[in-house]
Amino acid sequence: MRNKRNWKLEILGILLGILWLLPFYLMFVNSFKTKKEIFMDVTSPPEQWSFDNYITAFEELDFLQTLFNSLLITISSVVLIIIFSAMAAYALSRAKSRISTVLFFIFVAAMLIPFQSVMIPLVTVFGQFEMLNRGGLIFMYIGFGASLSIFLYHGALNNIPKSLDEAARIDGANRWQVFWHIIFPMLKPITVTVAILNIIWIWNDYLLPSLVINKTGSETIPLKMFFFFGEYTKQWHLALAGLTLAILPVIIFYFFAQRSIIKGVSDGAIK
Amino acid sequence: MAKLLMDQLTKTYDNKVTAVENFNLTVEDEEFIVFVGPSGCGKSTTLRMIAGLEDISSGTFSIDGKKMNEVQPKDRDIAMVFQNYALYPHMTVYENMAFSLKLKGMPKAEIKDRVRNAAEILGLMDYLNRKPKALSGGQRQRVALGRAIVRDAKLFLMDEPLSNLDSKLRVQMRTEISKLHQRLKTTTIYVTHDQTEAMTMATRIVIMKDGVIQQVGTPKEVYDQPDNVFVAGFIGSPAMNFFNGRIEGNYFVMGQTKLLIPDSALPEGLDNQEVIIGLRPEHITHKPVKDESTVEVNLDVVELMGSEYMVYATLEGHSFVGRVDANLDLAAGTVFPMAFEMDKARFFNPTTEKRIR
Repeated sequence: MRNKRNWKLEILGILLGILWLLPFYLMFVNSFKTKKEIFMDVTSPPEQWSFDNYITAFEELDFLQTLFNSLLITISSVVLIIIFSAMAAYALSRAKSRISTVLFFIFVAAMLIPFQSVMIPLVTVFGQFEMLNRGGLIFMYIGFGASLSIFLYHGALNNIPKSLDEAARIDGANRWQVFWHIIFPMLKPITVTVAILNIIWIWNDYLLPSLVINKTGSETIPLKMFFFFGEYTKQWHLALAGLTLAILPVIIFYFFAQRSIIKGVSDGAIK
Repeated sequence: MAKLLMDQLTKTYDNKVTAVENFNLTVEDEEFIVFVGPSGCGKSTTLRMIAGLEDISSGTFSIDGKKMNEVQPKDRDIAMVFQNYALYPHMTVYENMAFSLKLKGMPKAEIKDRVRNAAEILGLMDYLNRKPKALSGGQRQRVALGRAIVRDAKLFLMDEPLSNLDSKLRVQMRTEISKLHQRLKTTTIYVTHDQTEAMTMATRIVIMKDGVIQQVGTPKEVYDQPDNVFVAGFIGSPAMNFFNGRIEGNYFVMGQTKLLIPDSALPEGLDNQEVIIGLRPEHITHKPVKDESTVEVNLDVVELMGSEYMVYATLEGHSFVGRVDANLDLAAGTVFPMAFEMDKARFFNPTTEKRIR
């Protein structure tokens, strides 16, 4: 019985898959067309598979520098969010007091504040400290990413028995060694979840970098993409080639990290 | 190897609850001390104060004459085995055992030697590359012991290390821990709520109740000479039987029943006094010849244990347990003569519940 195929479910799955892949198909095929071809028929494959759009987009986007900016900002922010959030959640989960409870609720409450409501004063304050640059942006991402990450880590940490900390302390570890050698490795499943959530958000973010990055050469990929969308003309052929280039690093990342991402998410689900 | 001194040790929490009060104990080198008592009696808290995992509210704790109150756990030179083993799940058995040595910065070759040596003692050689989740409960417990052994610490602390094991494995591990102590001779403090573990393993037992020591003594002392009703009832299985009554001359009288007490067993000055007497089940039994301490009782329940019967009956409103040889033919609901060996009776003050000697 278990081996019998469920055709209805399979067809539904295939349809959903097609629906999911359709935007990627449109992006991919149109990235090889000329602007005229796109406007004539958006769904058909190109008459001629030419990489001209890619070469132009690569140059116009200053792709290597932009990719470096995006990677620098995303990796730095995510690594720092992971380290600081795990440490903060560890302190909050282990030092049970009224203050730690209040602090935890402040972090949780921060998740409910929409970014748009704080962006103007935030940018003004950062401007006064001359931090409207990549460093300032990383700093902001840590602030915005920390609350959800702390919330997730806190939940996971409550399931790790305190006797492990105590055993490590008796084994001769100081607080930092307890965290780094014992607790942090045990948080791997939740670290993968935190990393995925933050990488997706930070890599794709447009609004915050658009407010903070105002120096040529420091732009991230989503910022640079708007180079192709002028006030009067939209260069779809170049933009789609640029977009294809932009999603490549994420796909490559997923390809290499796929096994540990799936393991991390499923480990987290079981626990 | 260590000599410990606990002087007026007290633990009071922020909410003013006192978990341990005026705990006084001297532990000699190589002793195996067992803290025993019911849940919430403060035995684990005392152990945690010794380990440095709980702050000491007042009093002094010293190891080999050196005050330890403010010393960090890692600097006390102690090893501890936890109830839930507390093995590091992401490390192999080898890494678990080697962790403390690595932190000390010990050379790799020496770490290897020590871990292998401990693994050999505990029969863990085949499991060194396994993670804790791939081990059985007994093996995990051995790893926890191994982690303590490799340290070569002055003092071993064990917090109910066998309570997560099934009864058969518990008996086996009990013997192994005793053997280990005989071999290593490390001063050990062991916490349990199981009086059988306490009786079988300890050189001295510390019996606690509500944060206060009730009695300290060898297993034989606390069994034969309990200081109060609590100790008498807690140590021994089945527990000691208690009867409330009055001394009249050489007789213990309760209701219509009179039991003759031999002169040698009766403490002085008890005539016409209310007392509680305690008799162990093995001292309420069957004797071929009836005398003035034999009473006909109605048997409520009879349990055949193999070599003997456990006999449950009621006398003057007091439920009690006796032990009778299995050669006899007994059945519940029948009347049977039970002999109360009054020369073995222990006398307690009904108000203070302390033993009258």
